[in-house]
Amino acid sequence: MQIIIQGLLLSGLYALIAMGFTLIFSVGRVLNLAYGAYLMIGGYVYFTFSQTLGVPKLAGLLLAAMVGCIVGLLKYRLLVKPLKGNHVAVEISTLILAVVIQAAVVFIYGDSSKILLPIIPGVVQVAGASVTYNLLAATIGSWVILIGLFWFVRKTHMGRAMQAVSMDTKGAAISGVDPDKINMVTWGISGALGATAGVFFASYTQLSPSMWVAPLIIAVAVVIVGGIGSIIGALIVAHIIGFMEVTAVALIAPELRGVFTMLLIITVLIIRPQGLFGREELQ
Amino acid sequence: MNLRWYHFALWALFILVMALIPELVSKGTLRIIIFANFLAIFAISWDVLSGRTGYISFGHPFLIGIGAYTSAILTKRFDVPIEYAIPAAVLMTMVGGIIVFLPALRIKGSYFALVTLAFMELIYQLVQVVRPDLTGGTRGMSGIETLTRGAVNGYYLSASLMVVVALSMWLLMRTQLGTALSAIGMNEESVRGSGLSTTRLKLFAFLTSAFVAGLGGAFYVHYLGSIAPRALFDINFLFTIIVAALIGGASTIIGPVIGAFFLTFLLEYLRPYLPGAERYFIYGMIALVLYMYEPKGLIQLFSNAWNSLFSRRESAGNQNSDQAGKQSDAL
Repeated sequence: MQIIIQGLLLSGLYALIAMGFTLIFSVGRVLNLAYGAYLMIGGYVYFTFSQTLGVPKLAGLLLAAMVGCIVGLLKYRLLVKPLKGNHVAVEISTLILAVVIQAAVVFIYGDSSKILLPIIPGVVQVAGASVTYNLLAATIGSWVILIGLFWFVRKTHMGRAMQAVSMDTKGAAISGVDPDKINMVTWGISGALGATAGVFFASYTQLSPSMWVAPLIIAVAVVIVGGIGSIIGALIVAHIIGFMEVTAVALIAPELRGVFTMLLIITVLIIRPQGLFGREELQ
Repeated sequence: MNLRWYHFALWALFILVMALIPELVSKGTLRIIIFANFLAIFAISWDVLSGRTGYISFGHPFLIGIGAYTSAILTKRFDVPIEYAIPAAVLMTMVGGIIVFLPALRIKGSYFALVTLAFMELIYQLVQVVRPDLTGGTRGMSGIETLTRGAVNGYYLSASLMVVVALSMWLLMRTQLGTALSAIGMNEESVRGSGLSTTRLKLFAFLTSAFVAGLGGAFYVHYLGSIAPRALFDINFLFTIIVAALIGGASTIIGPVIGAFFLTFLLEYLRPYLPGAERYFIYGMIALVLYMYEPKGLIQLFSNAWNSLFSRRESAGNQNSDQAGKQSDAL
C-alpha cells in the first residue's frame, strides 16, 4: 500500500518533469540537454523570491515559471535557431549551456546545497503511509498542468498547430502555420513547465548546483521509453519509472533506484527505438 | 597514405617541442601540462569515434572509467603487477566498447547519444553499490601504485604516451580505413551502398576508441594514485573531453591536442580570479561562443588566418585583386 501511494506521488512529479522535455522533443525535434537547467533555474528563482525576499509562495512559483519561459525563449533565439537543422550542434551547445548555467548558479549562490522549505507544510497519514502535503500538492499540481496541457494541445488552434509542426514541418508551413512562431511558443512553454517542475522537485530533494542531471535523466528516460509526440505515453512511462524506483528502494536497496531506469532506457532503445507508444523514429 | 615532407617536419617539430618543454617551464606548469596530455588522449579517443563517424558518444567517461577501475582494482586488490594490469584494463575497456557498440547497430543520432549517457549514469551508480569492497564505493580508492615520481618523469611518460597515441591515430586515419570512417559520418547509407560493411567499420571505430580510452584511463589512474566515482563519471568531465575535441577541431588529430592544451591552460589561468567551480562559467561561455562562431574549431581559425595572410601577401602588388578580395570579404 505504501509503495502504491509513494509510487503515485513520485510518478506525478516525474510526469511533470518530463512534460516540458517531451514538448520540445516532439515539436522542435531537438534534444534539449539544458532542460535540467530550467528546473534548477526554477528552483533557485523560487528560493530567491519566496524564501529570501518573502514574496508570497504562489507569486514565487509564477515568477519562477516566467523566468523559465524567458530563458527558454532566449535559448531558442540565440542557440537553437542559428544552428537550425543541425541536431549534433544543438545537443552539444545545450550541453555546454547547461554547464555554463550550473557555473552561474555556483557563482551567485555558492557551491553548497540549500534546503527549500516545503511549499505547503504538514504531513497527512494515508493508509499507514506518511505523505507530505508538499508532495501531494506537487502531484495534484502536475495532474492539473498535465490535463491543461493535454487540452491545450488537442483542442486549441495553437496546440493543433504544434501537433502539425511536430508531424511535418514543411506541410504545416504550407498550410499557413508559421513553424518559427510555433517553435518559439513551444520553447517558452517548455521553459515555464520545467521551471515549475523544478520548484516542486527542489522541495522534494534539495537545491544544489548539480541538481539538473537527475531530472534530465528522468525526462530523457520518460520521453525515450514513451516515444516521441505521445503525451499519454509519457504519462504512462512516468508511472512505470516512478513505481519502479519506489519498488527498488523499498524492496531491494535504496542505492539501486536509478539502475533500473538506466537499464530500461538501454533495453527499450535497443529493442524498440521508437519507444513504447511512439509514432516514429527520430531521424 | 600520401605522406609529404612537411608532415615529417611538423611531427618532428611537435615531438621536439614536447621533449624540450621540461627544460623551459616550471614544475607547476609541467603538472598542468601533464593533465593537458591526458585530456588530449581522451579527446583523441572521443574524436576517433564521434568526430569521425558522427556517432556522438556522451558516455566516454564510461570507457575511461572501465580502464581506470580495472587497472586500479587489479593492482590494489589483487597485487597484479602494473605491466600486466594495464593491458588487462585495455582489454576490459575494449569489451566495454563492444557493449556500447551493440546499441549502435540499431540506433542513430540523438538516440545513440542518450543511450551512452545512460551507460555512464548506470556505471556511476553500479560502481558505488556493487562490490564496494573492490571498488571502494562512493569514496573510491586511494594509494594506488603510481608509475612515476616527480613532475618531470610524469611529464615524460604522459607526453610520450600522448605523442604515440596521436601519431598512431594520425597514421591510422590517413589510411583508407580512416577515410571510410569519416565517410560514415557524412553519409552512412552511401558507404553501405559502395559495398563496405558499415558494421565492421563501426566496430573498428568503437574498438579503437575504447583502446585509446582504456590506455589513457589506466595510465591516468596510475599517475593520480587515486580514483573516485564522482570525479570520473561526471558531466563536467565529459563536457571537458567533448569541448576539447570540438574547440580544437573535430575530425583532426592535432585539433583535440590543441583543444586540450587550450582548455587546461584557460582553466588554470582563471584559477587566481575564480577559485571554485564558477570558473566553468567563463570557460563554458568561451567554449560556446567559439563553437557557435566556428564549429570546426580553432584549427580552422588558424588555417583561415594562414590562408588570408598568404593570399594577402600574394596580392600585395595587385590593387585590383586586393579590392576584389575585400569585396568578397564583405560579402
